[in-house]
Amino acid sequence: MDEGRFETFYRHTAGSLWSYLFRLTGDEATADDLLQKAYFRFLRANPAVASEEHSRRWLFRTATNLAFDHFRETKRERARIEQGMREATTAFESHDALRHDMMRTFEQLKPRERALLWLAHVEEADHEDIGEALGVKPKSVKVLLFRARKRLAELLTKKGLAP
Amino acid sequence: MSCSYEGNVLRAAKEDRWSESLRSHVAECADCAAAAAAAPWMNRFARMSDRQHVLPDPSVVWLKAQLMQGTADVARISRPLTIAQLMAYFVVASGWAAVLTWKWSALQTWVRTFTPTGLVNTAARAESLSLSFFAIVFVLATTTVMLAMHTILAEDA
Repeated sequence: MDEGRFETFYRHTAGSLWSYLFRLTGDEATADDLLQKAYFRFLRANPAVASEEHSRRWLFRTATNLAFDHFRETKRERARIEQGMREATTAFESHDALRHDMMRTFEQLKPRERALLWLAHVEEADHEDIGEALGVKPKSVKVLLFRARKRLAELLTKKGLAP
Repeated sequence: MSCSYEGNVLRAAKEDRWSESLRSHVAECADCAAAAAAAPWMNRFARMSDRQHVLPDPSVVWLKAQLMQGTADVARISRPLTIAQLMAYFVVASGWAAVLTWKWSALQTWVRTFTPTGLVNTAARAESLSLSFFAIVFVLATTTVMLAMHTILAEDA
């Protein structure tokens, strides 16, 4: 892949990938770091013949793996991550109370639940793609997604935000 | 397999356009009901703007990737050399161990001859260390020095 093609692909995908990583980690610096790592891996894999859609799926899968590796590596630093989430929500709070509430609600879900909901609802990925990204069988995705949605609904009901 | 209506339910929730048949399906299907309940909130959450954040520039990402690729290539190319170096360390260390084990008692005797009394009384015993032993020691010492120089110079480079 040449630089021009990469730049076009980056401009098409980086925004949504960063949003995904930021919602997953709750930390801007971590999202930046994981975003760059995902593109480094993408360029190293050199998917010259793959379609943009295929490359995009590959990128989200890689980013998800990187995020989960990051969660595993920083397991002992969970308190620091949660602090990061709180800081992120505080940053949003200064902007908008609604955003703050949304970030706080989302952070109460487990990382895998966040990834499932984002990939299904925002990226509109099918169960097979989600399964590939999270390393689980498509059949399990159905169950996990159902649970994640239920959990989100419970949180929204508790906060009085349910539709 | 997921419910075949799930895609339609998510689309309807996104566009807020529900058909009667879809509504009745959602009322009966637990999966789609959960999807429909989560969808409006997720859609609003996704629309939350991240515009205040500046993404890394693509040319910087490209450049960093090229540099990392270069480093990875160097590591890959120099791997056989690193393996050869490790093997050389092992061979030299084994050589020293073998020589010392082979002639340990003779070496102890030889070292004792360096005392003033030893020099007078046991000078004749020095012959227990053959010329070939000293030749092996010389070869090993030379190899050790060469290996050490190589390691130091490689680290400096």
